[in-house]
Amino acid sequence: MENHCTIFVCQGTGCLSSGSEAVYEALKEEISRQGISHAEVDFTGCHGFCEQGPNVVIEPEGIFYTHVQAEDAPEIVTSHLRDGKPVERLFYHDPVTGEAIPNYAEINFYKKQQRIILRNCGQINPEKIEHYIDRGGYRALRKALLMTPDQVIEEIKKSGLRGRGGAGFPTGRKWEFCRNASGDKKYVICNADEGDPGAFMDRSILEADPHAVVEGLTIAGYAIGANEGYIYVRAEYPLAVKRVHTALEQAQQKGFLGKDILGSGFDFVVHVKEGAGAFVCGEETALMASIESRRGMPRPRPPFPAQSGLGGKPTNINNVKSLASIPIILDRGADWFASIGTEKSKGTAVFALTGKIANSGLVEVPMGTPLSTIIFDIGGGIPRGKRFKAVQTGGPSGGCIPARFLDSPVDYETLAQLGSIMGSGGMVVLDETTCIVDVAKYFLSFTQAESCGKCVPCRLGTKQMLEILTRISQGKGREEDMDTLLTIARTVKECSLCGLGQTCPNPVLTTLEYFRDEYETHIQEKRCPAAVCDALMISPCQHTCPVGINIPKYVAQIADGEYLEAVNTIRERNPFPAICGRICHHPCEGRCRRGELDEPVAIRALKRFAADWYFDHVNELAEPEPFPQTHSQKVAVVGAGPTGLSCAYFLAQTGYPVTVFEALPVGGGMLSVAIPDFRLPREVIENEINYIAKCGVEIKYNTPVNINFTIEDIRHSGFEAVFIAAGAQRSQNIGIPGELEDIEGFYYGLRFLRDVKVGKPIKIGRRIAVIGGGNVALDSSRTALRLGADEVSIFYRRSREEMPVTELEYDETLAEGVQVNFLASPTRIVSDDWKVTGLQCVHMKLGEPDASGRRRPIPIPGSEFLAPADTVIAAVGQAPDLSFLPRDSALERTRWERLAVDENRLATNVPGVFAGGDFVSGPGMVIEAIAAGRRGAIAIDKYLQGDTSRVEMYDLKPSVIVGEGLVPSQEEESWEQQFRPETPLLPLQERKGSFKEIELSFSEEKARQEAKRCLRCDLEK
Amino acid sequence: MNKAKIITKADLARINAIVSEYSQQKWAMIPLLQKIQSEFGYIPPQSIPLIARSLGLFPSQVQGVISFYAQLYTQPRGRKVVRVCRGTACHVRGGKTILKLVKQHLDIDEGETTPDLEYTLETVACIGVCALAPNIVVSDHVHGHMNPKKVDQLFKNQEGEK
Repeated sequence: MENHCTIFVCQGTGCLSSGSEAVYEALKEEISRQGISHAEVDFTGCHGFCEQGPNVVIEPEGIFYTHVQAEDAPEIVTSHLRDGKPVERLFYHDPVTGEAIPNYAEINFYKKQQRIILRNCGQINPEKIEHYIDRGGYRALRKALLMTPDQVIEEIKKSGLRGRGGAGFPTGRKWEFCRNASGDKKYVICNADEGDPGAFMDRSILEADPHAVVEGLTIAGYAIGANEGYIYVRAEYPLAVKRVHTALEQAQQKGFLGKDILGSGFDFVVHVKEGAGAFVCGEETALMASIESRRGMPRPRPPFPAQSGLGGKPTNINNVKSLASIPIILDRGADWFASIGTEKSKGTAVFALTGKIANSGLVEVPMGTPLSTIIFDIGGGIPRGKRFKAVQTGGPSGGCIPARFLDSPVDYETLAQLGSIMGSGGMVVLDETTCIVDVAKYFLSFTQAESCGKCVPCRLGTKQMLEILTRISQGKGREEDMDTLLTIARTVKECSLCGLGQTCPNPVLTTLEYFRDEYETHIQEKRCPAAVCDALMISPCQHTCPVGINIPKYVAQIADGEYLEAVNTIRERNPFPAICGRICHHPCEGRCRRGELDEPVAIRALKRFAADWYFDHVNELAEPEPFPQTHSQKVAVVGAGPTGLSCAYFLAQTGYPVTVFEALPVGGGMLSVAIPDFRLPREVIENEINYIAKCGVEIKYNTPVNINFTIEDIRHSGFEAVFIAAGAQRSQNIGIPGELEDIEGFYYGLRFLRDVKVGKPIKIGRRIAVIGGGNVALDSSRTALRLGADEVSIFYRRSREEMPVTELEYDETLAEGVQVNFLASPTRIVSDDWKVTGLQCVHMKLGEPDASGRRRPIPIPGSEFLAPADTVIAAVGQAPDLSFLPRDSALERTRWERLAVDENRLATNVPGVFAGGDFVSGPGMVIEAIAAGRRGAIAIDKYLQGDTSRVEMYDLKPSVIVGEGLVPSQEEESWEQQFRPETPLLPLQERKGSFKEIELSFSEEKARQEAKRCLRCDLEK
Repeated sequence: MNKAKIITKADLARINAIVSEYSQQKWAMIPLLQKIQSEFGYIPPQSIPLIARSLGLFPSQVQGVISFYAQLYTQPRGRKVVRVCRGTACHVRGGKTILKLVKQHLDIDEGETTPDLEYTLETVACIGVCALAPNIVVSDHVHGHMNPKKVDQLFKNQEGEK
């Protein structure tokens, strides 16, 4: 005989919108159809975990089902209720580990919370007062009515409860003021005008546990001596309004409201008032004006509401959460409540954790819990592999807190010290794709629109601040703007009449304090690192691309079948479409707006498709013509790697005769020497370099720059400018004992890859240990496997997040069988008789975050281990090799043995000599190398024309958009393909022992279909 | 922008009835206006003198209250009001793109109504369903986790309900 169980279907606004009403009906029907007598279906209010909804809880087991749809009802009833087997696929799955967790008590999101204010939310049917009473409801009211009002107030004071509306004023004292005010007629009000965008805890409480608020308000009325109460709910919460009305009716029926409550002689009646869309009515004096059906404008205080409020009578106003806390404080005692939290901030805080977070929902934790616990342990961290940037608390009245304060405890004082506020509990997580200038502008546009207009500082100040922020986001910022913002912000803060004005500058003040560099980037470089500010860019992808390729244009051209035009568009800014189409790390895709909503457009693969089409049809197309030479000054470039060749290409494009001097017999630099053929076949490099040569660039191979042929010599042979792009080809030492070059079996990764590429015979062992986590390490590992190694393991001292490789590279490395060990740092290379026998490592753990928020790895003492190996490949970084320059070269060097160049113009201290790329900045990605080449070309052009202005590499949104490719009309089924196609890869069996290219191109049909997924962000007004 | 709807005698009688309903309540003007709006879809300007007289106020005072609150309207609105949420969570999760797509589908701008009076497009500062951002509300029904395909489907379904 099964025990009775109840199926609770969540009917909060969130789950309702995901279809939970249909789930409820379907379960009821199915249970009745199958004749299951020991189960019944009921509904609850909001669990606070809306993202996982529709949520269904089976009690008393405590099983939690997520994303339940009506179609799942038969399976739940048959499998779980009838056969006793819960439905596993509906369990909650941890977003990080993927583990399935059946009981909600075990789910991290709930396990680490202490739900006091939310005690009944999701546990009871909010429209059944019996449920509330069964869980102890209205016990506190009985208790209070047996105490004197003063005793009730003492108890609340003893608990240390502070107002949860945001200001944190001690609630007990607030009640006392009102109690002591003179007059017979008093009012109590519940402020349920939760206007902070991003906050929904008050809504959830009213929908899920309205009686807690009603009981709290009644007790407040008793304590203060008020017989009339108001609940002011904003109009945007229709379900909350409905549930409150129902609760009031039921409470009245049971004698908890109305005349002579529970025989105590105390009368209390509650009215419900709805807001009409004014954020400022959350401010107490404006709220009272609104209840009186007047314009909701705040007034100066004194007199405070406690003395003169509604209708001029003493009035006490409390937030929903403060009132919901009252019953449990009286029931379990003030001492119990005061034992939770910190010294000055007692009890728990409820946060609406939203934004860029895996587990979005309501979180209740004891005061003093660190932000990192809330965001990472409970919230599950940042989705889509993005980096944390800041957390915004307190809504439009609060501020943005950066990564370095992540370990700060959450309480009233600490948040205020950091420049933010606790507020009502909104906590929005921001990541690298959120622009902080845009966030400040967003909040200001909100508060400016909601400003009632009564007082000058707020009315004019918000408008002025918004104007400045708008100008900055449009690329019209001025140096003095930041100081002007600070001045206005301080004035508005100090002189405004009400809380709206006094706190609305906080987002500006905190963002300027902690993220000033982002403002400066917008003003000085007209660049938005998060690619959000539309006026600064043709499109986010284009803006993020270091060379600014007009991506939407070429994607649209591919969609239209105009492949040659697409390649030409790419070549306006990048002479290596086939190479980048294979190995670029595609920062553009990381900012694709489509990617915010489902998956980014496969921009890199589309570029490859167009480039491959060109080279496949090159014999039918017209030969590329050399760029016309419009200048006579000759320019020399040292190094035919991606930076050198790009610089030469763009100089030729501008009209200069260019000669490139390359030491090796082949061009391509790192591309030819270090990237294995299975990622980048040599013919591809040859084709691209031939194209560049045909555009008029002269390349002299086997011509090194050294003591026989110096930079000076180049200058004297008629070149008016020289660009040095010699790359970073010296392997860095690890710096551990046993690192001796002559040991058999020890290689530096770069050397290893180069030897393989030039066909030198390598004696590779059977067990390989690779040190490092970048492209050279992964490429070396996969190359070693292909050369016949049995076992290849990578040892990387950091974690996956820090690995500077694309998802595809990492996934394929694992798929091919390489073992990756994270947080393992090598300490010694062990050898015997000059042969490698193993690698000694120590386990690491991530320590405190540094200024940038990154956690540094620190060794765990006593955790050393020995990994047996007969080959060790070290790939821990590369550095530029300046040895080809003479000792007495006039070229200035930095402390770190690199050439000193001006960041903007890439100029060295010798006029006419420039340098850039890996040679100056150390190893970087190929597209950054190309960008450095372009910067060099622009700088040299300016130099040769006598233009001393800065190099500016930005493209603002053109004012006239020429309609290249139409926006898909409603008839076209262009939104149909929702998901991006899988990257076509060579099957694993075919890769064994072969250096054949593993990634294949899209078919023409797939490419055109994928190109149509682009949202054409360049066509926005 | 929209032609004022013709108010019939029957409409005026109904408005009068509502006004009397609230005449005994304390501080009744806003609930009264909200009641009229829930029945007519907006507050007909012709009702303002009636309300003023009943409450013993000047019409300008009634007008002043109406114009203060964003959700009291004096113009007819579409049969379905589409509200795209521009709250913080929706903003950082791509709400701007959703708004752009909705504008394309309806071919109107924010604050406007389609010529056939079927849809009015608005943005709202926060509807409190932040965990499902980005959100759209159509006639009080919340639609969460919007993306291009869902926007398309949403309007196709709306057409089906016509």
